[in-house]
Amino acid sequence: MDDRITEFVRGLRAAGVRVSVAETSDAMRATEAVGVGNRERFQRALRASLVKAAGDFTAFDKLFPLYFGSGGKPLQNALEDLDPDDQDLVRAALAALSGRLQQLLDWLTGGDGPTKEELEEMARRAGRDRATNPGQALWITRRMLHEMGFGHLEDLLAELRERLAAAGMSQKAIGDLMGVIEANREALAEQLAAQIGLDVARQRAERPRDLDAGGDLMHTPLEDLGPLEAEALRREVRRLVALLRSRAALRQKRAKAGRVDPRRTLRANLRYGGVPMEIRHRRRRLKPRLALICDVSTSMRPVAEFMLRLIYELQDQVARARSFAFNDDMQEISPAMDGRNAADAVAEVLYAIPPGYYATDLGGSLETFYHAYLDAVDSRTTVIVLGDGRNNHRDPRTDLVRGLRRRGKRLVWLNPEPPAQWGSGDSDMLSYAPLCDVVYPVRDLAQLSAAVDRLLAGG
Amino acid sequence: MFDDIAAVRRGLGEAQYIASEEIGTVVFLAERLCKPILAEGPAGVGKTELAKAWAAAGERPLIRLQCYEGLDESKALYEWEYAKQMLYTQLLRDTLAGTLAGAPTLADAARRLAEEEDVFFSENFLLPRPLLAALMADVPVVLLIDEIDRADVEFEAFLLEILSDFQVSIPELGTVQARHHPMVLLTSNNTRELSEALKRRCLYLYVDYPDLEAELEIVRLKVPGIRPELARQAVTFVQQLRQMDLRKVPSISETLDWARALIALNADTIEPGMLRNTLNVLLKYEADLAKALRMMAPPPRDPGRGRREGYGRSNN
Repeated sequence: MDDRITEFVRGLRAAGVRVSVAETSDAMRATEAVGVGNRERFQRALRASLVKAAGDFTAFDKLFPLYFGSGGKPLQNALEDLDPDDQDLVRAALAALSGRLQQLLDWLTGGDGPTKEELEEMARRAGRDRATNPGQALWITRRMLHEMGFGHLEDLLAELRERLAAAGMSQKAIGDLMGVIEANREALAEQLAAQIGLDVARQRAERPRDLDAGGDLMHTPLEDLGPLEAEALRREVRRLVALLRSRAALRQKRAKAGRVDPRRTLRANLRYGGVPMEIRHRRRRLKPRLALICDVSTSMRPVAEFMLRLIYELQDQVARARSFAFNDDMQEISPAMDGRNAADAVAEVLYAIPPGYYATDLGGSLETFYHAYLDAVDSRTTVIVLGDGRNNHRDPRTDLVRGLRRRGKRLVWLNPEPPAQWGSGDSDMLSYAPLCDVVYPVRDLAQLSAAVDRLLAGG
Repeated sequence: MFDDIAAVRRGLGEAQYIASEEIGTVVFLAERLCKPILAEGPAGVGKTELAKAWAAAGERPLIRLQCYEGLDESKALYEWEYAKQMLYTQLLRDTLAGTLAGAPTLADAARRLAEEEDVFFSENFLLPRPLLAALMADVPVVLLIDEIDRADVEFEAFLLEILSDFQVSIPELGTVQARHHPMVLLTSNNTRELSEALKRRCLYLYVDYPDLEAELEIVRLKVPGIRPELARQAVTFVQQLRQMDLRKVPSISETLDWARALIALNADTIEPGMLRNTLNVLLKYEADLAKALRMMAPPPRDPGRGRREGYGRSNN
């Protein structure tokens, strides 16, 4: 059983669930404690010890039956329950069908399914060995069923029914026979699906991690990342944020000591007759407040999903963060970004703000922000703009940017374009850049993580 | 210690908590494997109640630590009782003078004082906060760490030592090892992602809103005076509300409040007038209230006209 659990854990990991070695050994202890007698209990014990996020339950529930299923119902012998005369009739009728789909009919009436070798051969022909995607398992199963002749089975069974009736078999006996054949047919399909599903899940677990998100991905320009790399990219963002999270915690911890606050120390020690027993430090540095403004216009579209994901993670991390997005006008997206799942939140925002050609209006959006959402910015807020500063030759409204800078604590601009392109075409970046406290070009993940790291450090 | 999962569910049931098979399994495993439980789920589905029931079922004391932003070790673990230390020093002044009397040099006096130092940094002057109290308890306890997602990330890291080894180090005293393994339940409302390290050490339990029958059972248990038909009507309505796209859907505790309110108002059945008056027990946002009322209202015969009239009235 332990081997099976280990194998199952590998399957889970391949499906994107994080499972540690310690958790695997917990799972073994847990299943030992509840026993294997009750399948549902076993499943729940395994889930409680392996899966630590409600979002991963679906992956677990999908894989579980593949690894710990019964492998489908067993086939039954269709002839057993008939009286000897009828058995002879059926055999004669089967023989009279002149060998068409002989094998399939044997399986369905005899109670023995195909042998392991036969199955293996069919699965190989159906292309199972190349499949690593759970969706393909369904398709392969269907192909195998088709090859077995399931497509012609209806006609054949109808013919069989007629022949038996003509030979004088009772309607009830025919009904019983057909019932068993029908059940066998379902059972066979079920067995096949279970087997192929497991095979594919195993192959997926064996497959070497495609595109190891190492240095390459870190230094690939964001807009060059294709849909194939997107998954690797998402993994990388998650890792990045986990890293930033612990680093941010460390920073705040160090900042806790610091200078002695004489006034608070005196007040706290009045009860000891003024002897300084308790030393009070100056208040811990205030936690960051963020106002995030993201450009999701056409020019930013290739990197927008990525930027929004980052916003999602930042908002999760920083308690007081509000986020906004614009194409032709500014909208608050904080409520959407508070959702459970990053992918859904990003999709929701991108759907709500469709791209439009030549519609970008940075100046106008800033004006809306200034009038409707200025309460998001106070003297403790760091305003972060994620955008390329391309404004369709409209009024850049540098006065508003200057105003934001004055009102907030800091104004930081993250621009996915390399500095050489700033100011070219409709880019107003060169007029915005001097107004910001700092501008980070974020061509790739490496630059971005460095920029966010400095941000969280208050730099 | 419970023998099997059924015993756990029975025990929790006797403590007025209706535990699903899943909750029973996880609690049973937590006891067997001595692992903490991390319970996540929307607010108000009874995660905290579970800890209380768990304590009651096992006849253990419950120690609760409520987390909040800025919670630190001294508030969660222990503090030295400075005032008591001061007082003792004052009262023991004569004895101290006696101890120090014969000292020929200042260094000698300091050394003698240092020998007595342990008196002041002993467990006598230690003010145990919930975590230390749970470790030092003479009987096994249930430790509830409520809303861990509200605490800072660094506090989470600090918890790790306790959760994996059930021990803490106090610089002046050394390491305190738990006398009994406390049963730990952490709850989180999912306002932020918890660290992998913390999750790894816990068994995971996701508590969701119960289905109709389960919630009905809870209402019957907690509000015994309610008539069966009324209870069913009320719970059905709440379940419908949960299907809607609201800012905050009603929790179980709000269902219970509402059921009590209905009894207090002597309601026989839920008719629209009563509903309108009591709906604010369930829904806490103006926009949600309006949406729910719209859902209940019968559709206007002529949608176009009805809407225009509606706007007109609201303007007056």
